[in-house]
Amino acid sequence: MTRPELLQIFRSSASEIAEKDLSKVDESGVIAELGIDSLELLEVIGSLERDLDIRIPDDQLVGIQTVGQLLNLVANKLPA
Amino acid sequence: MTYSAADTLVSCLANTPRGTAHGFRFRGLDGQASERYFSFEAFELAAHKRASQLQQLDLRHGDKLALVVGDPAEFVLSFVSAVVAGVVPVPIYPRASFKAKNAYIDTVSHIVKTAGAKVLLTTETTKPVVEEVFAHNPGLARLQTIEGLQQIPERDPALPQVAASDLCFLQFTSGSTSLPKGVMVTHANLVANARAFLGPKGVGATLDDLTVTWLPLYHDMGLIGFALGAIVCSVPTLIMPTEAFGRRPNVWLETLHQTQGSLTFAPNFAYALATKRARDKDLEALDLHRVRLAGCGAEPINPRVMREFADRFARCGFRREALLPAYGMAEATLAITFHPRETPLVTDLVSSEAMQKGEATPSTDPAADGGSVELVSCGQAFPEHEIKIVDEQGATLPERRVGEIWTRGPSVTQGYYQNPAATAEGWSDGWLRTGDLGYIADGNLYVCGRLKDLIIIRGANYYPQDIEWAVADVPGVRRDNVVAFSVQRNGEETLVIAAEGNSSDAAALRKAIAAKVAETSGVTVGHVAIVRVGSLPKTSSGKVQRRRTRALFETAALEEHPSVD
Repeated sequence: MTRPELLQIFRSSASEIAEKDLSKVDESGVIAELGIDSLELLEVIGSLERDLDIRIPDDQLVGIQTVGQLLNLVANKLPA
Repeated sequence: MTYSAADTLVSCLANTPRGTAHGFRFRGLDGQASERYFSFEAFELAAHKRASQLQQLDLRHGDKLALVVGDPAEFVLSFVSAVVAGVVPVPIYPRASFKAKNAYIDTVSHIVKTAGAKVLLTTETTKPVVEEVFAHNPGLARLQTIEGLQQIPERDPALPQVAASDLCFLQFTSGSTSLPKGVMVTHANLVANARAFLGPKGVGATLDDLTVTWLPLYHDMGLIGFALGAIVCSVPTLIMPTEAFGRRPNVWLETLHQTQGSLTFAPNFAYALATKRARDKDLEALDLHRVRLAGCGAEPINPRVMREFADRFARCGFRREALLPAYGMAEATLAITFHPRETPLVTDLVSSEAMQKGEATPSTDPAADGGSVELVSCGQAFPEHEIKIVDEQGATLPERRVGEIWTRGPSVTQGYYQNPAATAEGWSDGWLRTGDLGYIADGNLYVCGRLKDLIIIRGANYYPQDIEWAVADVPGVRRDNVVAFSVQRNGEETLVIAAEGNSSDAAALRKAIAAKVAETSGVTVGHVAIVRVGSLPKTSSGKVQRRRTRALFETAALEEHPSVD
C-alpha cells in the first residue's frame, strides 16, 4: 500500500464518520483542528483497523497529533 | 424470583447458581474470538484465589485498593477478589488515549490520596502511565501489576467476616465541577439497590436473561448495573470493553443480536450514535426481537433520540416498549427511579413560559405558550424508597412544581469518604439532596437538569439542556458539543452559548445559534463562543462540563475562533 493510498483511506473514513468534507486533508494536518472529536477519531481508527486488518492498541495512540503521525503508526502495522 | 437472606456481595456470590450453565462472558476487542467465560461458580473460585494473592500484599480488612485496570475480566475479578478479602476497591478510569497526561495524573493522584489507597493495582500496559502517581503519593505503599500478582503462590485465604454495614467500595464521581469525591457504598446499599432495579419492580431479571454491556466499569452504571448486579441477583452477563463500542458503535447491537441478549443499558448519546451509524444493509442482518429492555440513563434523555432509535430499529424486531428511561446517581448507589418495564415511553409536553416560573404546565398550544419542551418520564421510586420535590426552604412541593429532587431509602449512601463538608451539603435527615431539578406529574418523575446549572435571566428559569438540544439542531453544530450557561455582565445575567466548530464557519454559526435560541426559548443570547472541536471540557464519561466551561469563559481562557465580521 502506498502512502497516498493510505491517506486516501483516512480521508474517506474521517469524512464519513465526522460527516464533513475532509477530502483535502494532508499529512501535516493537525487532527484536533480538523473538526473531529476524540470519539470520532476513535471510530476512524476502528474503521482503519478493519479496512487494513490491523490492530492499534489504545496506549499507542497517546501523543498522536497530526494525520502523518497517525499514518506512520498505521504503516508500521502493515505487513512489509 | 425470590432472594435469599444473603446481605453482602460476598454471600450473594456464594449463593449464585452452581455448575457451568450461568455466569460472566468477558470479551476483548476481538469479539467472540476473545471471549473468556466464567461460570458464577468458577468466578467465585477465581476470586478466592486472587483474594489470597491480594492478602499477601499486606492488605488488611478495610484497606483501600486503587484499581486502574482496563480489561473487563481482570477488572471485575480484581474488584470482587478485593471485596472477598475484606479490602475496599477504588475503581479509577484508565487514561483515554487522547487526553492530556498531566490532568490525568492529577486526578488519579487526588483519588489515591483521598481514598488513602495502600496499593494501586494495574496491568503491565497501563503501568507506565500511572507510575508517576506512585512518585506523588508517599502514602501509596505499592504499585502492583496483575501479571505480577498472578505469580504469587495461592494460599488458603483467611477470609474476614464481611458485614452488610461494611464499606464495600468507594465510587469516585467524575466531578463535573470539582475534584472527584468518593461515595461510600456499603454492602447493604449495593444489595438493596441491585435488588430494587433488577427485581420484580425493575428489570425483573431471571437466569434466562442475558445482559450485554460495553459501559465503562469504573462508573456506577456499568459497575453496579452489570458487573455487581449480575452477582447480587444472579444475572448472566456479557461485558465488552468500552473501546470496542468507541471504535465501532455497531458492535453494541450486533452483539445483542449474535448472543440473543435480552437486556442492555446505555446513555442517551449511545442511542443517538447507534441510530446514526446503522446503515440500511446493517439492519437487514440484525434481529433485536429478543431485546426485552433497553435502558437509558446517566445523562438527560432526549425523547426525540429515543423515538428515532425505536423507529430505526423497528424493522429489526426492536419493540419500542423495550425502551426504559431511568434516573439515578452514584450517591444513591445507582438507580433511583425506573419507568415501568415493557410499557410505552411516557413524555410530557410543557409550556416553556410556565417552566420559566418553575411550573410544569401542560402545553396545548406551543405557539401561545412561548414554545414548549418535551420531557421523558423516568417513572417511580422503587419499593422501600421514596422521592420528593422540595423548594429552596426544604418544603415539599405539589405535583407539576419544579424543585430539587430528594430521595431516601436503603440504597442511599451515607456520604463522601473523608469529606464531611460535602456530605453535610448533600444529605439532610436521611434524605439525599440530588442537586437535580425535576417535577412529578401523575406520580412520574421528570428531570429538568442540574440545580446549579439553572440559568435565571430576569427572574425566568431556563434549563441549559433545553437550549443545548435546540442549538444542536443548527447545521454544523453537534449534539454533546454545546454548552449553555449564564454570566454576570454589567450586573445582569446574560446567556452565553459555547459550541465547537470550525474557524471558517464561526461567523455563520454565531448568527445561526443566536437565531435558534431566540426562536426556541425567546431569550436573547449575550454571546456565542465558537471554539475548536474537542476543546470544551468534558468529564471522563464525555459529558460537557458546564461550570468548567463557564469558569474558562470568565477567566478569558476559553479560546474562541476570532471574529471575522
